[in-house]
Amino acid sequence: MKRRSLAIRALMIIGLLALSALLQAQGQSERPEVLTVVTWGGAYEDSQRRAYFEPFTEATGIEIETVQYDGGVKVLREHLASGDIEWDVIDMIQSDASTACDEGLLEPIDPQILAPAPDGTPPPEDFMEGAIHRCFITQIVFSTVIAFDNRAFPGVKPDSVEDFFDLEAFPGKRALRKSPTGLLEWALLSLAVPREQLYDLLSTRRGLELASGRLDDIREAIIWWTRGDEPVELLTSGQAAMATGYNGRFFHARAMEGAPISVIWDGQLIGFNSWTILRGTDQADLAAEFIAFATRAENMAAQANLISYGPARKSAQRRVGLHTDTGVPMRPYMPTAPSHMESAVVRDHHWYSQTDGLREQWFREWLER
Amino acid sequence: MDRIGVQHIVYQIILVTVVAIVVGTAASLAAIGFVEAVHYLNDRLLISPYARVLAEDRPGLVAAATLIVPAAGGLIVGLMVHFLVREKRGLAPPDAILAAQTSGPAPGFRSGVASSLAALVSLGSGASVGQYGPLVYLGAMFGNLAGRLRLNLRHQRSIAIACGVAAAISTAFNAPIAGLVFAHEVILRHYSLRAFAPVTVAAATGYIIANVIFNRPALFLVSFDRVEHSYEFVFFALEGVLCAGLAWVFMLLLRFSTNIARRHIAVLWVRPAIAGLMVGLVALWIPEVLGIGQETLRFATIEGAFGIGELGLIIVAKLVLTALCVGFGFVGGVFSPALLIGILFGAFYGLMLPYLAPVPLSGLEVYAICGMMALASSVIGAPLTTILIVFELTRSYDLTIAAMVAVVFANLISYRVIGRSLFDLQLRERGFDLSLGRDKAILETHRIGDYLSTNVTAVSERDTVGDVRQRLVDDHRSEAMVLNRDGKLLGVVRLQGIVNSHADTPVLETAIQSFTIFDEDTSVWQSMEMLRGFLGEAVPLVDRRGRLKGVVPEEAVIRAYLEIVHDLREEENEAA
Repeated sequence: MKRRSLAIRALMIIGLLALSALLQAQGQSERPEVLTVVTWGGAYEDSQRRAYFEPFTEATGIEIETVQYDGGVKVLREHLASGDIEWDVIDMIQSDASTACDEGLLEPIDPQILAPAPDGTPPPEDFMEGAIHRCFITQIVFSTVIAFDNRAFPGVKPDSVEDFFDLEAFPGKRALRKSPTGLLEWALLSLAVPREQLYDLLSTRRGLELASGRLDDIREAIIWWTRGDEPVELLTSGQAAMATGYNGRFFHARAMEGAPISVIWDGQLIGFNSWTILRGTDQADLAAEFIAFATRAENMAAQANLISYGPARKSAQRRVGLHTDTGVPMRPYMPTAPSHMESAVVRDHHWYSQTDGLREQWFREWLER
Repeated sequence: MDRIGVQHIVYQIILVTVVAIVVGTAASLAAIGFVEAVHYLNDRLLISPYARVLAEDRPGLVAAATLIVPAAGGLIVGLMVHFLVREKRGLAPPDAILAAQTSGPAPGFRSGVASSLAALVSLGSGASVGQYGPLVYLGAMFGNLAGRLRLNLRHQRSIAIACGVAAAISTAFNAPIAGLVFAHEVILRHYSLRAFAPVTVAAATGYIIANVIFNRPALFLVSFDRVEHSYEFVFFALEGVLCAGLAWVFMLLLRFSTNIARRHIAVLWVRPAIAGLMVGLVALWIPEVLGIGQETLRFATIEGAFGIGELGLIIVAKLVLTALCVGFGFVGGVFSPALLIGILFGAFYGLMLPYLAPVPLSGLEVYAICGMMALASSVIGAPLTTILIVFELTRSYDLTIAAMVAVVFANLISYRVIGRSLFDLQLRERGFDLSLGRDKAILETHRIGDYLSTNVTAVSERDTVGDVRQRLVDDHRSEAMVLNRDGKLLGVVRLQGIVNSHADTPVLETAIQSFTIFDEDTSVWQSMEMLRGFLGEAVPLVDRRGRLKGVVPEEAVIRAYLEIVHDLREEENEAA
């Protein structure tokens, strides 16, 4: 009796072990179905969908789900604090990525995942300087520019940052992002401060006060926006005569939708967007796989042929040609076009990442005045 | 011209060009390295506004750095100067001027390097001193090194020094023409074709390295349309006069501060630390006093950046602290502080003017720039250079002409009140008066001992008049030197004085006891001064123990003068 029960027990244990091994094997072969990418919506997200998300799904069977985001590090902190981590990859402005990395909010990224250029050039030589970081891989060069509604100025057109602040010569509402990003630089640029000295001067109380005074000149005419697609809406609807916004959105509105919008390249604020992986995600490997896919030269070039943001690797830049749908040559609309770079301000990401609190405080005080 | 002559000219041209390019390159790279190192230190030590704002979440650290860094920097500078610089002071443009003006020995390379490092620490730790003085000395140091090479080039040292200085200024201001003129106006103090060509090459080399290769930013960029009202030129002239007054106050403060340090602080190396501590204390309240103040310089041209009261306060603080830092031994120049104080004063004047003369004006920028250049030109004694800096940086005729009026009126006054420049004053305190021109300075550096003759009739104190008379007849001379047993000169006997004396009379009784005498240190200039009213053949020259070494005939003094002056004129007028 005793011997029989022992045999049954042994058989049961073997069966359980076999079942567990089977389940485990089945679990291993199953890949998650969804990867969550946090990004910026609108025409920009559409270009990503066509250049990265859909091809990735096609290649791997993994769906990409997107969450819209307006930048900053605060939302990452809040998401992590909630304890329910649902985001995997985040498309961040480089200064925010740098701050988030310093705060330990991001997973490290192994640069070995990056594919070499089609001609075999290793990634460190192919990517622009500073693009490959411990926590982020910079993918595009974008710029925040001033644009205007052509209908608002039938005669003389504005063509400088100074004109943006000149309500007398160029009357009408001004749409500005409700964030201390770009405001300070444009305020000082309009006072003829050389772009090389902007961040030195903005590092002083006097510089901040000077910027405040300059913004006071247009305070009554300001309409604030928060989402990247709003400036286009404000201009096309005639609510604003001039607006700051992302160059790719303005390009898309004009080239694809025929919106009467012109861009002022004077004082364009060059920025960089980077792929990051949120700390604590259980799909870090998959996130890295996506980043490796999205940063292939051909995929980066595909995005640049849909929206006028410059790819961050040289092999991709060489592949930029005509717009995929309209056949418009894309190079003249890139922020990095030589004629646009003459008066460009390259955003100081180090300064931005270190002055988050200071800028926020300044902005709050200025709004409350 | 024969073949050898042509070969010699080709050799001279090639070698002079190579020297200019090599010295220009070295000076320019050193200047860029120096400026970058100062920025690096300013950032690391929380002196620059950029670094301070990045650390704003640690206000305690910023305050501690404000107090400690300049004081500790001062201590390091004091120790470096005391133990590493042979001259026991920071080397500066006056040393470059002296080396180019005279053939005397220049400060050694080790002293030059130590002084430059001390300047780096001074500027890096936020002392209120300027960077252009050390840059000028760096350029001169490389020129001096090239001047030592045996290249068989005439006036090699002075030209090489001018090349180094021109390249340094050209690099620092992105202004090659200003660099070229500065080297002539301040260092060489004359214009000659021989110096003009290599100095131009060096200045252009500095500009190419700074602007084309390293793409250095300009010191300041000002957008200015035009002077809108002709009456404003009167205001510019008045501003120049006021700036001359301010320059005079600056000089007085500098002298006062130097005297205070000498009288009350015996330990040399402690002085800069005390000045640094004062800078730190004031900077807690007025951070604009720290360092070179490039941001403040920029703000001064922007309408609305400063209130009148603030400007007045910063001007006074900067004036006093710069005088304190320089007087107490920080190593650095006065050009940058003069630019800064000048632009602040110009802005102050521009803001005050509407209250004094309620008429339309052309804006703040033009008054700020005029003040900057008027004060700086009075302090460094380089009106042409400062006018050219404005032109090269702004490319605006209107702004340049406005600045020119202010500079001219400032110099008209300051030349009479202060003298040519602060550099001349400093040199005069060291015994070199350049106010009478180069001739005197160079004659001062040549020893008359170089023209010594040993053809002398020397007699013993025990000789009689008869013996001496015979010796003089035999030697065909009319003067004899009376010596004791050790060879010490006791007197001079002249033939006409002993013609009627008795032959047995001891010669010492007839010797002249009070007579003109040179020593080993007597310069050619001094010898000429001493020859006033001299009657005789030759002047005896004695060593430090009073022993006769020989005589310098009157003819030799005149010959020395003619030779040196001829050489000078040749340098000033000769073609390349």
